[in-house]
Amino acid sequence: MNLVAGLDFSILPQQLANGLLLGAIYALIALGYTMVYGVLRLINFAHGEVFMLGSYAALFTSWALGFTPEALKNGAEKPSSWMVLALMLVVSMVVCGLIGVVIERLAYRPMRNQPRIASLITAIGVSLFLQYAGGLFLPQSPPPAISEQVNPYRKDSDNVRLTLKDAPAALKAQAKLLDAEAGKAEAAYRASEQQDPPGHTTAATEDLRQKYQTLERSAQKVEGEVNGQSVKLNIPFGQLIMLITTIVLMLILRHIVMYTRTGRAMRAVSHDFDSASLMGIDVNNVVTVTFLIGSALAGAGAMMYATFLRTNLTPFLGVTPGVKAFVAAVLGGIGNIPGAALGGILMGVVETLVIWLGFSGYKDAVAFVVLIAVLLFRPGGLLGSSKVEKV
Amino acid sequence: MNETVLTLTNATIRFGGLVAVNNVSFSLQKGDLFGLIGPNGAGKTTCFNLITGVYRPTSGVIDFKGQNIGGLPPAKIATLGICRTFQNIRLFPALSVLENVVVGAFLRHTTSLASALCYLPPSIKETRALRQEAFELLEVMDLSDVASVRSADLPYGKQRRLEIARAMATQPELILLDEPAAGMNQKEKEDLQSTVRRIRDDFGKTVLLIEHDMRFVMGLCERIFVLDHGEEIAQGPPEAIRNDPKVIEAYLGEAV
Amino acid sequence: MKFWGVRLLSFVLAFGFVYGLDVVTQTAFPNLYRLAVLAGLYVTLAVSLNLINGITGQFSIGHAAFYMIGAYAAGFVSQHMYASQPLGPVLWLVVMMAVGAVFAAIAGIVVGLPSLRLRGDYLAIVTLGFGEIMRIVVQNVDPLGGAYGLNVKPFGEPPKILWLVWLLAVLCIAVCRNLLKTSHGLPFIAVREDEVASAAMGVKTSSVKVTAFVIGSAFAGAAGALLAHSETFISPDTFKMDVSFIILTMVVLGGTGSITGSIMAAVALFAIPEWLRTMQVMIPGSSIVAGILAVGIMVSGFRWVQNNYHESVSKRIGAYLACVVGAAVAAVVLSFVLAFIPQLAQQRLDVAMLRMVIFSMVLIILMLLRPQGVFAHHEFSWDWLSKVLRARKGVTA
Repeated sequence: MNLVAGLDFSILPQQLANGLLLGAIYALIALGYTMVYGVLRLINFAHGEVFMLGSYAALFTSWALGFTPEALKNGAEKPSSWMVLALMLVVSMVVCGLIGVVIERLAYRPMRNQPRIASLITAIGVSLFLQYAGGLFLPQSPPPAISEQVNPYRKDSDNVRLTLKDAPAALKAQAKLLDAEAGKAEAAYRASEQQDPPGHTTAATEDLRQKYQTLERSAQKVEGEVNGQSVKLNIPFGQLIMLITTIVLMLILRHIVMYTRTGRAMRAVSHDFDSASLMGIDVNNVVTVTFLIGSALAGAGAMMYATFLRTNLTPFLGVTPGVKAFVAAVLGGIGNIPGAALGGILMGVVETLVIWLGFSGYKDAVAFVVLIAVLLFRPGGLLGSSKVEKV
Repeated sequence: MNETVLTLTNATIRFGGLVAVNNVSFSLQKGDLFGLIGPNGAGKTTCFNLITGVYRPTSGVIDFKGQNIGGLPPAKIATLGICRTFQNIRLFPALSVLENVVVGAFLRHTTSLASALCYLPPSIKETRALRQEAFELLEVMDLSDVASVRSADLPYGKQRRLEIARAMATQPELILLDEPAAGMNQKEKEDLQSTVRRIRDDFGKTVLLIEHDMRFVMGLCERIFVLDHGEEIAQGPPEAIRNDPKVIEAYLGEAV
Repeated sequence: MKFWGVRLLSFVLAFGFVYGLDVVTQTAFPNLYRLAVLAGLYVTLAVSLNLINGITGQFSIGHAAFYMIGAYAAGFVSQHMYASQPLGPVLWLVVMMAVGAVFAAIAGIVVGLPSLRLRGDYLAIVTLGFGEIMRIVVQNVDPLGGAYGLNVKPFGEPPKILWLVWLLAVLCIAVCRNLLKTSHGLPFIAVREDEVASAAMGVKTSSVKVTAFVIGSAFAGAAGALLAHSETFISPDTFKMDVSFIILTMVVLGGTGSITGSIMAAVALFAIPEWLRTMQVMIPGSSIVAGILAVGIMVSGFRWVQNNYHESVSKRIGAYLACVVGAAVAAVVLSFVLAFIPQLAQQRLDVAMLRMVIFSMVLIILMLLRPQGVFAHHEFSWDWLSKVLRARKGVTA
């Protein structure tokens, strides 16, 4: 039995793998939320919009490199290389990093001594501003997408294939045999068809056609059974690059936070903002670096999201992944960097599982359900600790 | 007159591995002026938080007039007749001085919310009565001249007095004062001493107070409880406490 | 007797106001009728959110959810049951308002419960999340029309809808005002100011918070019921997050806790975009960028004056004026300069599209310059105004 209650378990591993890849993107965005929250105790609502601008930055880079819709019209081919991808990634990261720093400098820094709700409202304002100002100026109808030709590894033959569980050999042999027979029957039918006078089908040809169709149908049925009983993974090479890049970026971040002077200052500030400033740490500098790094990570996520997951770009693109990444950060324990990575991957997996269960209409609601559940039952998140207000 | 109001029996609270209050037992008679002292971090405010329901005791019994109130919600405990002030002043900054006190008096409201939303005469009358009552309390606390000032705009000493007025407005049987004299000058402290005495003598309240200023406590309280590292080290009248070697050690460190 | 006289007078004034509005919009400006209806709904929404956000301090940013629940509950019931009952349209609409209010109030309890454990930004996120969950659920429920929306047309043109809308708004304002006028309002403010201290004074903080959510959401639900009938069609897209943010902007702009502030902000923020929509002017992109930059320059100028220029009032007003003039000059210069960028200059934009850009800028600028809102906690009154003006003069002297 490979079908229980209408669920196709043979595609579950593939779904989990997809969830993992999607989760990697969420994790990259979640890191930005969590770092900013850790340092400023601010939910940076505009982070999703930084992500959106990053995907547009990647789009414009690809256009600047000649991958414009005009140049690629009518199936024109343009060779690409890994350097194109690297350049898009770097541009996207730099642009997002700078935007993040500018937002902090102009909108959040003046709010530093105001109540937290005031900064939250500012963040909502910045988020709306970027969405709708973007709506005025960014290309959006029809929604542009980064040409798949920027990805030099897009061929099916480049995909990484893994067979986790094979179908029984006898079944496979039967499938092969039926396939061959169907092929032969088709050849016979085509030959007979050729000999018929134009516009007229003889009874013999009709007979051959029916024989061929019956064979073809049973061949397809057995083929389907083979597919159902074997469990395979098929991961496009581009998405593998995405996963590896994400891991590398996270390791770099870990190194910065744990082993550099700036990282130490960041940890100090997130532990106690006021004390850190009294200890001679340049808090403004730390906040700037935090926004720079967090936004650059969102930029990396945006470039890969737009390139490898082939998303159509709109100025409102950042809202949904932004919300999901925020939930991921809360799920992992906001302010906690490994927690954000874990939360991101869990969110990706949960989302694909919900689709797999047949509730794709609710896939965006699930993030909020998870969020509310976490906040009510484990407000500190999976890896965080909750604090008690001092009376 | 010897009616027990509050009894703590082996009250204990742990935060993780830290035992903030350990096996503390004491009891207050009606009309007591009881002082709770101890070095910084001794667990005095935590004791208050246990009594007023901010924290739930890990073990032990907190008995208020024959009812175990350990772990009841703070609002419930306030209705039973225990009210407090806060070490780090917690007024309602945007409300006026008078309104702050009315919040305390509101505990005794009788009209329904629906009647208030319809602005029916009973609610209007009640509002007027509560404000009048609050104003009289302000007169006692010598705050009537600033009744309409935003409480956030008051000077520090008056804010502390307002906290006491607000607590008094709930008409508690037992009033807990957390460092009422902190940040006051000598003159203000003396005034406060007589005010606290009046609260006991004229209004018949039982007072439990935390204070750092030894002179203030010794001159005011009739019985004193000394806490260090969450544990009792002495209990008794001021003279005994003053000369207790364990108390001196806790405050001044090991005697040489 | 004086009490009942004043009360009667206020009833007469309220009815007079609505009657006047009805007559004026029906006779002189028929195209304003729908706008007057919507404006009334927004006043109700803003004032009811102000009860939750401003007065009780429970930062909810998902008010559109209650609006939607009221609209869908009333719309669904109306569509299925109007034919089989004896009530006339106007009475039926009143009943539908009650239906919307009850359903929204139940949702208000559901959202209010988390507020017992969460505060500040976390509560905000949960209310936002609740709004989105409800919207997605409606999108997936076929009897409610799913993503296509629901027709609400149990009878022809809804009669007296303007009356009902504005009487609802007046009722909502009256309820909030009465609350603040009596001592029953103080626990609500106390919870906003300091929850721990309120509890220590015997205020049942949980029931206060849930009550605020219930009253606030009930009014939003009743408003939703009227929206469903006046627009005759609702869809999940009518109640997107943006609507919540617009209502929030109104409350914040008016000053959290100030009822009159919320009313004025609701009318102003509703009127500006509608006015923009009627303009139908196409502006080159370069001018819009120049305008946004100029506003930025003006705001930084204002901030500088606010923080660093401690001179007499008249000099300060002069400095503010200088900022405005400087910004205007900058706008002109910049739009000339930016016109040299062909991509910007050739882009023609409809002013109506600026709506949300303006909302978001109002929100940011307000937070930068006056985070407590225009009226802060005060209510607008001539007394208050003259006090403020006199205080200004006092500084000069």
